[in-house]
Amino acid sequence: MTLAATKERKAPTRVLSYAGALLETMDAALANHANVFIMGQGVDDFKGIFGSTTGLAQKYGAERVFDVPLMEEGMTGVAIGAALVGDYPITTHIRADFSFLAMNQIINLAAKYRYMFGGSMSCPMLIRLVVGRSWGQGAQHSQSPQATFAHFPGLTVVMPATSQAILDMYPKIIARHPGPVISIEHRLLYNLDFTVSSNAPAIPLSTYIAREGKDVTVVATSVMVVEALRAAQYVKEAAGVEAEVIDLNSISHPDWELVVQSVRKTGRLVIADTSWLEYGVAAEVCRQLMLREPRALAAPPTMLGMASAPCPTAKSLEDLYYPSQHETVDAILAQVRGVGHGVALPTERSMTEAFKKFRGPF
Amino acid sequence: MGLIASPRFILYHQPSKAPQGAAEPLESKDLANSDELYRRLFRTTLLIRLVEERVIELYPSDRIQSPVHLSIGQEAVAVGVCDALRADDLVFATYRSHGFYLAKGGRLDRMFAELYGRIGGGAKGKAGSMHLSAPEVGLMGSSAVVASTIPHAVGAAMSFKRQGSDRIAVAVFGDGATEEGVYHESINFASLMKVPVLFVCEDNGLAVHSHRHIRQSYRLQKHAEIYGIASCRVDEGWDMLAIREASLAAVAHVRAGRPFLLEIATSRYMEHVGVGEDFHFQYRDRAAVDAWKARDPLVVDKALTEALRPELEREIEAAVAFAERSPAPGRDELLTDII
Repeated sequence: MTLAATKERKAPTRVLSYAGALLETMDAALANHANVFIMGQGVDDFKGIFGSTTGLAQKYGAERVFDVPLMEEGMTGVAIGAALVGDYPITTHIRADFSFLAMNQIINLAAKYRYMFGGSMSCPMLIRLVVGRSWGQGAQHSQSPQATFAHFPGLTVVMPATSQAILDMYPKIIARHPGPVISIEHRLLYNLDFTVSSNAPAIPLSTYIAREGKDVTVVATSVMVVEALRAAQYVKEAAGVEAEVIDLNSISHPDWELVVQSVRKTGRLVIADTSWLEYGVAAEVCRQLMLREPRALAAPPTMLGMASAPCPTAKSLEDLYYPSQHETVDAILAQVRGVGHGVALPTERSMTEAFKKFRGPF
Repeated sequence: MGLIASPRFILYHQPSKAPQGAAEPLESKDLANSDELYRRLFRTTLLIRLVEERVIELYPSDRIQSPVHLSIGQEAVAVGVCDALRADDLVFATYRSHGFYLAKGGRLDRMFAELYGRIGGGAKGKAGSMHLSAPEVGLMGSSAVVASTIPHAVGAAMSFKRQGSDRIAVAVFGDGATEEGVYHESINFASLMKVPVLFVCEDNGLAVHSHRHIRQSYRLQKHAEIYGIASCRVDEGWDMLAIREASLAAVAHVRAGRPFLLEIATSRYMEHVGVGEDFHFQYRDRAAVDAWKARDPLVVDKALTEALRPELEREIEAAVAFAERSPAPGRDELLTDII
């Protein structure tokens, strides 16, 4: 992705990679808001956070886009201070795991600032985290901390699953959102191409239906939305099953009524998240459903997430660690037709192998 | 009165080490008005002490349901530093910030209401003593997590520079905070980016109950020098005039565009948290604190203290009455101002 590409006249519908959408929104934020700056390790280097900030330092200068020392907590504190005096900082962590070094500032300070000081101050800012997966990321380059951050009131946590989600959400967040926002981006999505439209209804800072269906509800996050859409296509073709795929999209402020309405319609639920199931997004979806419509489910829900272990580096173990397309399809079919559904499953066992060849949903 | 009662306090002490490239610390009009200046600083210092003594009196009544970290003994630091600042400069302080709140110009009535957990407090009662703030006068949010506001001052100062403003930001922290990683991250970044931030270390030699010699392998000024940050230490931390003078020089250095570290020796008379003394635990020596008190103008200059006491106590009574009258926040506040 190059800056030149972002200058082309935008057609109503076009193909845009996730990284390209990120670069466009970062570029537009700097162009449209003098108070925006981007800081993070490597934001101004030749890799530009996997192409999401490439060329912006040259275009807007080192005062607006700059590298920082290795100081995750300090950088986040600096961002809070800048936000308090009217600037809008965008910070980056090339792996979400590094944001754990900034937990004190994110949780003890940024999340509390508005409330703890009686609404007299706020620190609007965007913290971008990139979740790694595959190619041997191992235990400390693969964690997906959406449930951790969404646990703390005061933080807004989103997981854009598509280029459209970035194009629709980021400008609104940067221009108008009053508090700190954590956006958890997924590395596997960066190189995927998506069809984006300037005419379609904008994706809200909340939940939306990514695909309509009547037989089973699949609530998914981030890259698992793409996986769920692939699985939905498979079960339709292989078994005529219509899966409704809901992109939870906002982890901290989802539209639970949308989820409940869908489950009320289908009576069946699969939850596919990018992290562990324990005390996580899947648990929260179930909690909300129990509170709102405890009799909506015709069968116990199925949950897909990472195995309850730190992420192994060995590929043989990693392929077992994450749910594959095989397991996602099986979960959907088992909900609708029972475990002995008898439908042939896809042979694909490694999702990340597939994503290397997969050129996107378009 | 100050001239007669305590001549030593109208003398301008040279800072222990003159800051490099600092502007001339003394303004000639100050010398002409030295008695007035002394009286003004003394008044604010005494106000802080009397306010905290009132907190001690009130505390057993449970009207103040918030841990309090009293600054009694340390008030001159806040007064001397804040007097050297402009109204639009920002201070980021700590859980021990009654002094900085008042010295920066925060309203006393709102402070008592905040300690009382009432809607009339600066944070509608949601902050209490540990999180005082008064952004309208430049006291930004105080934090109970040691060292955590230091990078905020750096960030605000960086933005002032970005915005072409000549405002500065001040990070206030104790000597224990300098052991935290984020202190090192912050001074490194401030020096690299050349941001107008003043680091003020209130060195009372204690981190809760731990003495510095078991905590620190470094000397703070030497350490700052490695990061390319000029510094000055004031040993006479009871003397608000000396602190003000050193602060004026430091502020001039910072406003010219470079970070600066001001280390000020001080003495915490009371326990770390709470309203009592703690000498009976024998982790520290009463004699050291007594020696400090023997030089403390609020103790030594009895005449001025007694002259100012009635009007200050009237102010405090009015503020306490305001807090008493202020309603407690209701359910509508529980889920307000979260995002």
